[in-house]
Amino acid sequence: MASGRAVSRINWPGLAVLALVLLAWEAVVRAGVIDFEFFPAPSAILAGGIELAKDGILLQDLLHTLLSIAIGWSIAMLIGISVGLLLGFSPLVRRYSLASIEVLRPMPGIAFAPLGLLLFGFSLQTELVVTVLPTVWPVMINTMGGIANVQPRLADVGRTFRLSRHEIIRHLLLPAALPSIIVGARISLGLALVMAIVAEIVGNPEGLGYGIVREQQALHPEAMFAYIAVVGVLGVILNAGVLGLTSLLWPATVPRRGM
Amino acid sequence: MLDPVFECRSASVTLALRDGPRPIIADISLEVHSAEFLSIVGPSGTGKTTLLRMLGGLLQPTGGEVLVKGQVMTGPPEDVVIVFQDYANALLQWRTVASNVSFGIERVLPRKECADRVRQALDLVGLLGRAEDYPWQLSGGMQQRVQIARALALRPAVMLMDEPFAALDAMTKAGLQDELLRLRDQTKTSFVFITHDIEEATYLGDRVAVLNGSPGRIEQVVAIDLPFPRDQIATRQLPEFLEYRYRLHKAIGHG
Repeated sequence: MASGRAVSRINWPGLAVLALVLLAWEAVVRAGVIDFEFFPAPSAILAGGIELAKDGILLQDLLHTLLSIAIGWSIAMLIGISVGLLLGFSPLVRRYSLASIEVLRPMPGIAFAPLGLLLFGFSLQTELVVTVLPTVWPVMINTMGGIANVQPRLADVGRTFRLSRHEIIRHLLLPAALPSIIVGARISLGLALVMAIVAEIVGNPEGLGYGIVREQQALHPEAMFAYIAVVGVLGVILNAGVLGLTSLLWPATVPRRGM
Repeated sequence: MLDPVFECRSASVTLALRDGPRPIIADISLEVHSAEFLSIVGPSGTGKTTLLRMLGGLLQPTGGEVLVKGQVMTGPPEDVVIVFQDYANALLQWRTVASNVSFGIERVLPRKECADRVRQALDLVGLLGRAEDYPWQLSGGMQQRVQIARALALRPAVMLMDEPFAALDAMTKAGLQDELLRLRDQTKTSFVFITHDIEEATYLGDRVAVLNGSPGRIEQVVAIDLPFPRDQIATRQLPEFLEYRYRLHKAIGHG
């Protein structure tokens, strides 16, 4: 039943448009309408991707990027959720630290790449500095907002049923804030992917990001586009993965459709 | 059971606001007996909700005292539970109907007994068939019945209700009023029912207390001597009903 529902949720018209765009792209390149040697047709990109996969290097790069996303996102979740909870529960902490957060938050993570390079050289650590710093904010802000915006009525309900302060937090406030925390976690994950790729392009010569640069410098546009396509697909899969996991763990928090 | 269940002895609540202390309710003395239905009626701004929160132990009286079964109350008492007006906020949207109803008892009772009580409570409010639905799949009237079932599962001595039907349409409201009277007969629970609707207060109550003024005081308590079972059509056109209605309107200061 679950898989049947998943199939019925696939956006067929949207996919058809995508297929048409790819076909048009293929036709335009083959007909020679676009005469630019670094703009390969989708079929050539696919062939390039298969080459890379056969070679084993694509898998290696993919695993590296996945690893750095996993580490970077986990650190960001840990920091973001704990600080977010603190900010959400304590108006005092919020009052004293929100100004600092608003100053730090707009700073692009990539601006810290030179610092990472000074500290750690061309390494996974540098990649993590660039990935973690901007990734912390969405989950932190959403956790804070989720807690601070819980209906005060829920605390009344907890008290009339004689729950302790601790039980009110655990059984009422945290579950009520969970959907907002999950949204923050998803935004952070998408950002972690972007920042890992950026870091691999400028700071750590490994992974899918470096693959793009490497193939560009080797003048292999098919392989370069293949890497870009893999990054795109990875983004879609990661998001779907979090959504799937969420609906498995907490079915009631999944966005509802109609009534 | 000790009678009265509730007793207020010149209780008052004064809030400390930025521009000084503001008395909300003053000199409240009243008793609630076991299995009694006490309606409290009053215009808005007279502290009805404050009074109910004080009875529920969410708010400490700043003067006088409140006794539950002869004991001075210091926090939310055992056996007393509040049903709120805003059911959508008061229900746990991430839990099923059955799991909402078990919320108040699941930490105290063994699993089996908990399940039995949930079933009984849902049966009492006619929602057994919707046990596995989520609150947002139910109509407003059904959601309010879930909240009532959640309170009933606790088998409370007193249910405090804060304008519970104010957000519902007239027909749903009438149905739930009769359901409450039936529940009172079946469970011998006492009800303290706050409303701004004089007819509702009269139809349901054994007594109606009039809260008026600022700070709010109990200006009158009217014993309602109307025959049971009450009937939405017959009771409401009895000359006595109309007389009570007139008296209460007068007491509140209309006409």
